[in-house]
Amino acid sequence: MDYARFIRLRRPLWEAFEAELAATRGSLRKAGYESLEDMALHYRQVLHDHALAAARFPGTAAARRLQSLAIEGTRRLTGEGRQRPAGLRTFFSRTFPLAFQRQLGLLGVVVALFLLAVVWGLTVTALRPAVGLAFLGPEAARGLEEGQLWTHSLVTTVPPAVSSSRIATNNISVALTAWTGGVLAGLVPLYVVLLNGLMLGAILGVTMHYSMAGDLLEFISAHGLLELTLILVSAAAGLALGRALVAAGDRPRATALREASRDSLAVLLGCVPWFVVLALVEVFVSPSPEVSAGVKLILGIALEVAFLALALRPIPLESTPEPRP
Amino acid sequence: MAEIRRESILGLDNIRLDLPVAGLGSRSLAAFLDYIGLGIVAAVWIVGVIVVAGWLVPGSTAVLVITSLFLLEWGYFALQEILGGGRTLGKRLLKLRVVTAEGGAAAAGPLLIRNLVRDVDLFCGPLLMAIDPLSRRLGDRLAGTLVVHDRERETAPVLGRVPPGWGARELAVVESFLARAGTLGDPAVAREMAERILARIRRDAPEFLTGVDPGLDPAGDPVAAVRQALQAEEA
Repeated sequence: MDYARFIRLRRPLWEAFEAELAATRGSLRKAGYESLEDMALHYRQVLHDHALAAARFPGTAAARRLQSLAIEGTRRLTGEGRQRPAGLRTFFSRTFPLAFQRQLGLLGVVVALFLLAVVWGLTVTALRPAVGLAFLGPEAARGLEEGQLWTHSLVTTVPPAVSSSRIATNNISVALTAWTGGVLAGLVPLYVVLLNGLMLGAILGVTMHYSMAGDLLEFISAHGLLELTLILVSAAAGLALGRALVAAGDRPRATALREASRDSLAVLLGCVPWFVVLALVEVFVSPSPEVSAGVKLILGIALEVAFLALALRPIPLESTPEPRP
Repeated sequence: MAEIRRESILGLDNIRLDLPVAGLGSRSLAAFLDYIGLGIVAAVWIVGVIVVAGWLVPGSTAVLVITSLFLLEWGYFALQEILGGGRTLGKRLLKLRVVTAEGGAAAAGPLLIRNLVRDVDLFCGPLLMAIDPLSRRLGDRLAGTLVVHDRERETAPVLGRVPPGWGARELAVVESFLARAGTLGDPAVAREMAERILARIRRDAPEFLTGVDPGLDPAGDPVAAVRQALQAEEA
């Protein structure tokens, strides 16, 4: 086919596709089902014309016009960006639990490492209490000598609303850092897990040394269990990225990373609202002398159970429609 | 206009698409503009919160500042890209757009992922972009995205008839000339080139010049003659 004939025969199709692209510039939803089907057909034809023009008439105006049409058509008609995003209900009832459950193995590893670090911190502090005091700083150490936990200042020095927003944003930042740091071969989430474990062990050891471990456990009983769980879950999500990078298996690393990032992001996002709830608990319930230790413990366990029940709920396999004959 | 680097990907039906991939320079400039925008938004927001919230709801200023700075830090880029079809303010100014590795529209998830690792990319992103043919930073690799130039669609004139024996190279030269003839600084240059093309037409397809050959009329416009001879469609 010569150039002029090619253009004469095919130009009406290109112009029709250009008109369809212009008519649906704001949103493809403007077009009805049939128009969309026509558009998809025209897109495919344009794509084939582009392949022909690129091979037979490279560098010509028709080839360039078809190339830009093919690229714009691909962007407008393909990709996941055109899909309606799943709602929050679907996310928390299906996407998050599925992603969480796929990551349970790594979570087990993270929990084991964390417990090891706790025991390590506890042992070191039992042998040398100064190590634990170094974690807390001189002011908290002075407070312990006077028989007062540093947690007291959480609500006495700044208004509770400020404390809770600061705690929530700080905890979410730690979780996000643990996740994003996963791309550095999983080193950052490992650091976060080990440091948190070591600090908890050391602080427990110090408070035991000053016979105030009971007060500390009472303070953290309402929020601590779930807060640590969320940090560990976020770290496991980050570790999933590190694993994809280091041990991609027989897939290209880019593919392994891309697949791991989808699941681990779902896990991370599923944790975020809980951090906000916990910040409120940490400011309004945990330090409150009016709330008994038993109530705080029950609240802490209830929050943990609620999170785990949501994350571990059995998800039925999605039914696939029968293929049409 | 600078030449745009194109990298091939395989699209639908394994047809090659040469995407106009954005390189390190244009992307860094877009990011620079975005960070300036972020600084301005943060400054205006903080001042606004201090003035308005302090007056309307005293005591809420610190909470609003802490929360909004956190949201700006983690969400400024991602939210713009999600709402703007893969474009932030800087990308709009430089006509760049985020697309999937297959050239399609990127969904909210990948756009969020590529922006959450932005802090890590501040350190290793430029190096990764410099050594990758598709100029992908770490966030792009994680999310499976690319940044491409989002140029206007090509509307160069195409020829309606072609003298026998002309190949793609001759066609491309003539079409390119017709597209740019009006913008050439020196009309004498345009005239000289048009006359050369007319000479080729006269040699290969003299019938195309019937009634349009300016050689018969010294005052005629050779560029218009080329246009008339080649853009007229064959019956």
